[in-house]
Amino acid sequence: MNPTWGIVAVAAVSITTLVIGAFGLRLSRTTSDFYVASRSVSPGLNGSAISGEYLSAASFLGVAGLILVGGADMLWYPIGWTVGYLLLLVFVAAPLRRSGAYTIPDFAQSRLQSLAARRVSMVVVVGIGWLYLMPQFQGAGLTLQTVLDAPRWVGTVLVAAIVTINISLGGMRSITFVQAFQYWLKLTALLVPLMFLLLAWSRDGEPHPVQSQAWLEPLGVATGEHLYSVYAVILATFLGTMGLPHVVVRFYTNPDGRAARRTTLIVLLLISAFYLLPTFYGVLGRIYASDLIAAGRADTVALELPGRLIAGTGGELLTAMITAGAFAAFLSTSSGVTMAISGVVGQAIAAQRPAKGRISSITALRLASVLCISVPLVLALNADSVPIANSVVFAFTLAASTFSPLLILGIWWRGLTAIGAIAGLIGGGIAAATAPFVTLVSDLDGWAGTLLSQPAIWSVPIGFSLMIFGSLLTRSTRPTNVGRTMVRLHTPERVNVDRRY
Amino acid sequence: MRRTVGEEIDEATGVGEVYMRSLIRSQFRAAVSVTVTVLLTIASLPLVFAALPGLNDVRVGPIPLPWVVLGAGVYPAVIALGWLYIRYAERAERSFAALVEPRRSKRPRR
Repeated sequence: MNPTWGIVAVAAVSITTLVIGAFGLRLSRTTSDFYVASRSVSPGLNGSAISGEYLSAASFLGVAGLILVGGADMLWYPIGWTVGYLLLLVFVAAPLRRSGAYTIPDFAQSRLQSLAARRVSMVVVVGIGWLYLMPQFQGAGLTLQTVLDAPRWVGTVLVAAIVTINISLGGMRSITFVQAFQYWLKLTALLVPLMFLLLAWSRDGEPHPVQSQAWLEPLGVATGEHLYSVYAVILATFLGTMGLPHVVVRFYTNPDGRAARRTTLIVLLLISAFYLLPTFYGVLGRIYASDLIAAGRADTVALELPGRLIAGTGGELLTAMITAGAFAAFLSTSSGVTMAISGVVGQAIAAQRPAKGRISSITALRLASVLCISVPLVLALNADSVPIANSVVFAFTLAASTFSPLLILGIWWRGLTAIGAIAGLIGGGIAAATAPFVTLVSDLDGWAGTLLSQPAIWSVPIGFSLMIFGSLLTRSTRPTNVGRTMVRLHTPERVNVDRRY
Repeated sequence: MRRTVGEEIDEATGVGEVYMRSLIRSQFRAAVSVTVTVLLTIASLPLVFAALPGLNDVRVGPIPLPWVVLGAGVYPAVIALGWLYIRYAERAERSFAALVEPRRSKRPRR
């Protein structure tokens, strides 16, 4: 394939991202700007930005690849990523915004009055972030390899470099603009080529995919193991979304709790619209590109299709368009995740060096972003690649087993104590962390492999029950100000009660 | 001196506590209702498809019914649930506000 257009697409997205980032630099001056865009972003813009950040390589390339291989059952991944936002809306959106903290560790500390709970949360934030970043970086490598015939490390390193530069330039404010723009870019980059692909398919006589029952029918082979896997994905994604650090940090940019709810509804609309599209790529891929399955390159199906269905420059231009969208996906999600985890690590670094004022906390953020990005970069360069969407579910499982119980119980149950929360974070975290290890390191088959590589069904209950029973056993250590915290979390802003605490 | 409900809540008196608990309980009930609805509809679909393999032969145009439901039909339902929840939650907050501050317009905001 002629790589010219692909290079143009990657360059255009990269440069636009950096330019919008630099434009944001002139607007962001204070620490508050750097971290959360001064909490002045409107629901429309914020909704686009959250969706832009959320639709990662897993959504843009991974879902089509999964459907190509696995068929109907894989439709649960995008459904789970959408319902996750619904549960986030009903359980955490408004109270979390009203809590007034920047990050989950902030929330843990203020709700539980415990520095230890804050520290453990920080470790979990970094763990989730790394699990999420690795597949983004690998996806970037795979994309440039497919489109430009570049070695795998080129795309990986390129994305890591742009994200680091962008965060150093502008922090969260510029990321808001960048990501709002990238949502619309991603939607267009899947929608427009799809129109042409469907036209080509209909000229071709509308062939049906070569079907096997297992591919075509949900639970076509309804073994217990199969059903278990589907429910593991459902549980991890439904509950995991609310605990993703880059999603949560975004809620602090809403002006108030009511706006946080409205923003979430807009996000539901935008991601639903997007998730209608990858299915078509997966099904068309089953017809025209099923050789990718055997080649182990199913994740590239969206990139391969235009060249196979549409000859000449037309196909190359469409491929370039999808490449641009995919790059937008890598950049926006990686920026958001890196920003979120380096915000947390940056706070910790700044706290180590007090009395240096505002500048030092921004320097700390820059330092933290370099630290936070290098570990997943090294992992991405060295680890075997797992299908992108599967790999992202590791991060969701970890979030569902740790932060999801922390947030739900912390917001709705007065009885949560610091010790209970820490027990749940550690227990749920260890249980969920078996998944990537088992998948990457060992070759367990059968029930043992399934149970360990998709632990959500048992790791989420472990997280919840450790928090609940741990708190019940340590009832005497309930924070004394829990009543005030509940007032702050649940009263609407316009009601005139004391919100200073 | 008569205290406003807002002051009752500020000072964590018995009355203020009752108002707060009732707001939280009503919001929590809304959240749980949405969750239960999701469990009974969307999250039970894998069991439905496993139990009724005949559904795969039902077609909408050329497309098997499960693909239509999972690929598209679920999303409007999720959005509708979100919309209903927001309406309910905002109504609960409005009536809480009306209870706490019946004469809010006459008082300056802190």
